[in-house]
Amino acid sequence: MDELKVSGLDGADVKAGYDTQQYIVIKLGHEQYGIDIKFIDNIVRMQHITRVPKVADYLKGVINLRGEVIPVMSLRLKMNLAADEFTKATRIIILKLEQHGTIGVIVDEVREVVTLSPSQIERASYDGKEDKTSFIMGIGKHENELISLLDLNAVALEK
Amino acid sequence: MDVNQYLEIFLDETKEHLESLNTQILNLEQEPEDSDTINEIFRAAHSLKGMAGTMGYKRMQNLTHDMENVFSEIRNGTMKVNSNLIDTLFQCLDALEEYTNNIQETADEGTNENQQLINQLNEYLKASKEGGEVSAPSEEVKENGKETSEENKAEEAWKDIKLGESERVVLEAAKSQGKGIFGISVFVEESCLLKAARAFQVYKEIEEKAEIIVCNPPVQDIEDEKFDLSFSLIVVSDYELEGVIKEAKNVSEIEKIVIVPYEVAETAEAPETKEGTAAVAVKEETKPAAPAKPQQGASAKANDKKPAGKPVANRTVRVDIEKLDVLMNLVSELIIAKNSMVADSRAEGGTGFREHIEYLESVTTNLHESVMKVRMVPIESVVSKFPRMIRDLSKKLNKKMELYMSGEETELDRTVVDEIGDPLMHLLRNAADHGLESNELRIKRGKPEVGSIFLNAYQDGNNVVIEVKDDGNGIDVESVKNKAIERGVITPDQAATMSEKDIINLLFHAGFSTAKTISDVSGRGVGLDVVKSKIESLSGEVEVKSSLEEGSTWTIRLPLTLAIIQALMVTVGGEKYAVSLGSIQTIEDISPDDVKLVENREVINLRGSVIPIIRLSDELDIESSKAPDENIMVVIVKKGERLAGLVVDELIGQQEIVIKSLGKYISKCRIISGATILGDGEVALILDANALI
Repeated sequence: MDELKVSGLDGADVKAGYDTQQYIVIKLGHEQYGIDIKFIDNIVRMQHITRVPKVADYLKGVINLRGEVIPVMSLRLKMNLAADEFTKATRIIILKLEQHGTIGVIVDEVREVVTLSPSQIERASYDGKEDKTSFIMGIGKHENELISLLDLNAVALEK
Repeated sequence: MDVNQYLEIFLDETKEHLESLNTQILNLEQEPEDSDTINEIFRAAHSLKGMAGTMGYKRMQNLTHDMENVFSEIRNGTMKVNSNLIDTLFQCLDALEEYTNNIQETADEGTNENQQLINQLNEYLKASKEGGEVSAPSEEVKENGKETSEENKAEEAWKDIKLGESERVVLEAAKSQGKGIFGISVFVEESCLLKAARAFQVYKEIEEKAEIIVCNPPVQDIEDEKFDLSFSLIVVSDYELEGVIKEAKNVSEIEKIVIVPYEVAETAEAPETKEGTAAVAVKEETKPAAPAKPQQGASAKANDKKPAGKPVANRTVRVDIEKLDVLMNLVSELIIAKNSMVADSRAEGGTGFREHIEYLESVTTNLHESVMKVRMVPIESVVSKFPRMIRDLSKKLNKKMELYMSGEETELDRTVVDEIGDPLMHLLRNAADHGLESNELRIKRGKPEVGSIFLNAYQDGNNVVIEVKDDGNGIDVESVKNKAIERGVITPDQAATMSEKDIINLLFHAGFSTAKTISDVSGRGVGLDVVKSKIESLSGEVEVKSSLEEGSTWTIRLPLTLAIIQALMVTVGGEKYAVSLGSIQTIEDISPDDVKLVENREVINLRGSVIPIIRLSDELDIESSKAPDENIMVVIVKKGERLAGLVVDELIGQQEIVIKSLGKYISKCRIISGATILGDGEVALILDANALI
């Protein structure tokens, strides 16, 4: 199976306190983004996406995930970055969101799972200059690296 | 008791009982003496009452209780069935249905007491009791009278208890301490299956509130079911009369519990009659005509506690256990097939692989069929209300008519069955109102005075056909034509060229009604077009055949199930799409020279009819993989009466596909009605031909 079960990624970080949160770190271009692990259902390899006509450009189409038809969007296009280039590292992260149901998002690469305590998270300041900001709810600091934490409901929201 | 978890079962069963009551009461009208029917009615009413009571729906319980009383009189032969009584009973059923609907929506029965109906029922009861005399005492008095006569018997039950010396001492001690001493008689319902258990429940409840001094028969006998339908107790308690048995009366299947203050004096005769009024007869059923009674208050409180406004209707399908057994068998076969493949893959060579696949194929085909069957329910649940409706219509329209039904057992997908009721009702109303002639005209035409309406259902291949037929006037084509011209639906020129069939089909046009007078039965002009669109939304079609003065036949054709369809797989610009086979007429290979432009739209002339063509590559925003000078492949699809040609690149073939929803996230795409997963795991989109035209 070409699926990478999330549970396999956990490991040592799980033992963290109850007010800490785990994030999966993904890469889009050179930037690192964090996705709250509790919304993630599954991570699958890139597969054939069936295009759906007459929908927004960031909606790439639908895939078959074990018999379910699931819409897939390009995180890059949604965030106004350059279009995706599919490589061996490209993954589709299947998100389960309360409001929007199950959605897949395409990312360049899945790196690791990090555990962040509230002190390591800086809430985002809305300066409104950049379009991307609205998708980010905070910045996480982890081992000298900065991780932009994605606000998934904003990501899923249709423009 | 938290009864919410039983709500679904309650709703299901209530509907069933109501349906059965409807049918049986209709039967009763035909054969007022048939004891089977009466018994059936009585049972259904009784169960309804019991269920409503258990769930705490007092108003519903009150109404059914009085209905049950009436049925009981009919059963005993003391009341005669007449048309007025039947009318009242039907109104009661309507009221019950209203309660049920309220419960389904809000988990609350609503506040309508239906006092008028209850009074009417009591009038009938009274009339039968008094031999039809009008100058009877008020119903309240009569009710009480009846009650007391029953109670007299009841009260005597505990009087039979013989007190031993020691018990007498205990009672006297209790009396001197100022405690209340009560005699209690408990009556178990005749139909109760677990007498001992129920009796013991009551015993336990009373024991919590009071000290039981004497029990007749002894407790051991009660537990061993060695008692008739009643038992008596003498208890000592600190509580008030009502308090002692408050909990006990909640036990179901108990007919009633009578509690009376007990006089230790040996001559217990005197208090007997005096206490007659003070005695609290707690029947499981509350008395209808006394809204101020404490039970009513309690029920109102109980209702308040229920979560208001929470929808409670979960759709369920009741499945025949046999169907589940078949499913289970198939799944086990599937596992066997899998195992043999596993075993074969380990073995050297793997010779029987093909065989296994064939086996697997047959299992999955059967599995699919069985699962489909699980979703199927007989249309009976929908059509069983129609005889009643026709009866009402017959009275309202003052026309004699009879409904003949066949094929009620025909099964359809649950979702279809839920939706088909309204269209059918519309067609039946139409047949009754417009179709059948008045009694006089029928006689003049030499037809039997009583008009006939037929409702036939049967399976035809992968479709279910439902026919609504009447032997009435038929459709007057000329009158339809004139009306259509008058309404501006068609021009006189168009009318001249239209075939009879086309004109009849105008009836399905929105805003068209030929009824000369508008009645509340039909004739508002919002009928047939709604019927048609409803049936089309179920992927079905409706047709009408008619001959003047002989009657008309409306035919509805529905697919067996909506979840799996036969589809034509095509490619457009390298992408695969599915088109439902149901909407496809023909497939044509057309030379590009034959494509003409009319009003800037591309059309083809196919055997005399001009058909607009739609280039799917344009609609789907994709490049066609065909060169412009190549022949084009045109799939001719039909929406109602309109045809259109869909230009595709290639045909792959016919395939049975499982429809999957695209989800609400991608719902904006109108021309895609869903998706399906192909054999290779790829997703293909299903084109909605109706939206394209």
